[in-house]
Amino acid sequence: MTPNEPDGAELEALLSRCAAGDRSALETLYARVAPILLAVLLRMLRRRDAAEDALQDVFVSVWQRARQFDPIRGRALAWLVSMARYRAIDLQRAARPALALSEVSALEPQLQSEDPAEASEMLGSGALLLRCLEQIAAPQRRCLMLAYQDGLTHSEIARAVNEPLGTVKSWVRRSLIALRRCLES
Amino acid sequence: MNYERPELLDRLAAEYALGTLRGRARRRFERLCVASAAVRSAVYRWEDHWSAMSRTLPQVQPSAQVWPAVSRRLFGDAGAAPPRASRWRTWQFALAATLVALAIIAGLIVRQQAPPALQTLAVLGTDSAHPVWRLERRLPLAALTIEVIGPVPEAAGKSYELWALPRGGTPVSLGLLPAAGSAERTLSERQRRALLAADKVAVSVEPAGGSPTGSPTGPIVIVTGVPAPG
Repeated sequence: MTPNEPDGAELEALLSRCAAGDRSALETLYARVAPILLAVLLRMLRRRDAAEDALQDVFVSVWQRARQFDPIRGRALAWLVSMARYRAIDLQRAARPALALSEVSALEPQLQSEDPAEASEMLGSGALLLRCLEQIAAPQRRCLMLAYQDGLTHSEIARAVNEPLGTVKSWVRRSLIALRRCLES
Repeated sequence: MNYERPELLDRLAAEYALGTLRGRARRRFERLCVASAAVRSAVYRWEDHWSAMSRTLPQVQPSAQVWPAVSRRLFGDAGAAPPRASRWRTWQFALAATLVALAIIAGLIVRQQAPPALQTLAVLGTDSAHPVWRLERRLPLAALTIEVIGPVPEAAGKSYELWALPRGGTPVSLGLLPAAGSAERTLSERQRRALLAADKVAVSVEPAGGSPTGSPTGPIVIVTGVPAPG
């Protein structure tokens, strides 16, 4: 577990207090997870003002939809991160400028520095996905990370890694099959 | 596309949560999620798995004005600073207004200190920033007030129909949603019972005049939870 990894049980309790209309619970939840969600949004939207506006939207939705969170369906942090990512995807559709090649190369050093093995150790035994990702060849893994962390579409990934669109699509598809197998084993 | 194959569904769920499923395919898959618990649980599994990748990103502290802005939007705090003028946001709204696509996202507001006779049941919208209809109920639930509070997305030759989704039961129509103004809907005994037993309401797109079968026939575009009566 990372030093700042919020406690899942605490997040669930905060969400259920939000569902009951407790405003102070939303403020505490914000203090716990806003820096995590802003990192996600900033990476996907690439502009601080857009990311912070989206962060507002996410917390407005969290308050309005807290009743819909069901602890048996998944972890609270995954639910919150997904809300942020889907909001960013919706905003990208409308407003993100087309990706320039210079921006893509600017992203590369960051990606290379993210070693899944190291991250997996940091996150402890829960991060099965990261261990499974290690088993995927580096170019394919990079496509998945560009999709998830940067929110790139298939065509944007193809431009970023300089491969044909069809190749990228089939890499993603085959990686998913391999991941599924690894996650189930 | 054949959605019956479990391995295909699992792959679509993975690509939905990963973010590579886009455009019309994404919207179609969202409607499938609304209809199928199995699809939703596949999505939840992948959301859980993928989220490990977000947690490897270094955290970023938001600026000091973000929380007051959230608080103001939700609770209208009088003491908070006025909204930050954001050209980005204005532009984004203009785009959103023209590109508006109905999403499954809908907001839910329970009025904190509503008089006992009238309670906001739900706010239905394309997303939390674009509310379209407000539903208010009068206890003991003899009638429902539906008020248009935002632009109703164009649906030529179609009507928006409201449904109560009783837990473990079949959807019961609560009538058509108005395109403008507001409507007071007296509920039949069947509608009243369905709404009392409902934990969600939904909006579907139907042929003009409403569903010909008495069940939703068109795409369900909004689903939102409703508070228990009381």
